[in-house]
Amino acid sequence: MLVPSSKCAVPDIYAPCQTSACALLRSAVWARAYRTGVGNVWKNRQVLRMLVSRDLQRKYRNFRLGYLWSILEPLGMTTVLWFVFSVLLGGRKLGEQPYFLFLSVAILPWWWFTKGISASTRVFRGNISPLTISLLPTEISVVRVVLVSMADFALSLPIILIAMVITWTFPGPLILLFPVAILVQVILMYGVGLFVASVSALVPDFARIVRIVMRAMFYLTPVLYAIANIPAGARDIAVFNPLVSILGLYRIGFWPTESEGAVHFAIGLAVIAVFTIVGIITFRRLEPRILKEA
Amino acid sequence: MARIRIEPELPYAVEFDRVSLSMPRSKRRGGQGTRHRIRRLAGESSRQQVPVFTDVSVSILPGESVAILGGVKSGREEFLRLAAGTLVPDSGRVHRQDRVVPILDDSRCLTPSYTTRQNIYLTAGLLGMTPEETTGRLDWIVDMAQAGKWLDSYLRGAPRNMRQRLVWTVSMATGARIFAIEKSLVIGHGEFMERCWSHVEGIRASGVTFLVASDEREVLERFCDRALVLRGGRIIADTSVEEGLGFIRPARRTDPTEQPDDRDDN
Repeated sequence: MLVPSSKCAVPDIYAPCQTSACALLRSAVWARAYRTGVGNVWKNRQVLRMLVSRDLQRKYRNFRLGYLWSILEPLGMTTVLWFVFSVLLGGRKLGEQPYFLFLSVAILPWWWFTKGISASTRVFRGNISPLTISLLPTEISVVRVVLVSMADFALSLPIILIAMVITWTFPGPLILLFPVAILVQVILMYGVGLFVASVSALVPDFARIVRIVMRAMFYLTPVLYAIANIPAGARDIAVFNPLVSILGLYRIGFWPTESEGAVHFAIGLAVIAVFTIVGIITFRRLEPRILKEA
Repeated sequence: MARIRIEPELPYAVEFDRVSLSMPRSKRRGGQGTRHRIRRLAGESSRQQVPVFTDVSVSILPGESVAILGGVKSGREEFLRLAAGTLVPDSGRVHRQDRVVPILDDSRCLTPSYTTRQNIYLTAGLLGMTPEETTGRLDWIVDMAQAGKWLDSYLRGAPRNMRQRLVWTVSMATGARIFAIEKSLVIGHGEFMERCWSHVEGIRASGVTFLVASDEREVLERFCDRALVLRGGRIIADTSVEEGLGFIRPARRTDPTEQPDDRDDN
């Protein structure tokens, strides 16, 4: 069931391996990834845009302040965390200065990640009966929640601008890595979201486990603190957390010292690739069973 | 699309190639509430799989109108979902020449908390139409479904039979060449029903394929030219509609769970 849709791609990968193995393998894998993943989504981008904008409208429809809440809520939460960890517990040296900016640059992507992943646990649960008639690729539902949480993130980005102006700190040229970080995070969330959505569709307990893991990850990931705060020995383990390298990419424009070594970064990217591939494979295997639950 | 592959060179409209399928038991019987809990206590797990189809092979030619007949749990809905590709067989393959548009229970895909217009776009989107295409056919949909009065009000306030008209009309507006219809080939009463008839007979004449799992014998006798009788996970007969209907107990329509949902409680 691993290759349900590509009867033809399998011989392409394996047969001419002896000759120009690498190039062929690469092109076949890319073609397959396009056909089963990105291509599917791209073909349905207009429907997807409609779904995402409708979700956003519904989310903010009942509030007087509307979309302003997507800024106000994270702003309030960031202020609380800043107050606790910088003013109340200011004795310990935590992260970089100015702390408010340091915090907001990492915590907004972090919230995007948690919101997206916890929303994907519910994608194939509850009311999934539209799947009985849906001719769209099933993974569109996961892409949809990832994009909705991403829109929230994008709307909350002015917080970073406000923090930059207030603290009068401006980034260096490495800020160009900020969009790269967003792209990498989308890829990671696609994979993790597919995994989480398909497993929790079949095992409802998994959603609870995800919630606990996300709580733990909040403290195990350098959001409140810097990579430099991690003891040197533990740092080699921490690089296997995919969020470490992504948050490092977000922060590197402001604090070049926030970068890990190139080796650590490569490990981080490799872990992200593995997470994404595992998510896609898991989803492909479980998709027939998810459809039966509809 | 990944799970729905279209093979334009296929000589058949839809071809089932040694298809086997089993479904979770909870989905095969009304699985909620006390009865469900008693069954769980009695050791009957809800994750237990029950076979629906074993080794079914059938091919349907383009332009045919096929009645899918069978009893209450004979798997007619699963047959249509397999044809449309919203269900993937455990083994075997389903080949389809073109997109198969399913018309199943209308409560499935409509959201009462959205307006009628939003529901049109949403349902059309699920069936693979882009918003631009939907906009282009919106006038036809609204006119056909007689939804003008409720177009911008929430669907929960609209009459029940309008939802049915809406799903039927949006599905027809996809302009698909193959339809898999669960409940009613034609819906409504009186003049609306006549318009439905003229529409479906018009597109059948142009070579559209229909799979109909309706309970309305008169409709099947008038419209279909072939019948498949499902029983016990197999196709036990592949005949004309008259003979096929002979396999089915006529009293079946008195079963309350099987009554076609075409009451006009407006």
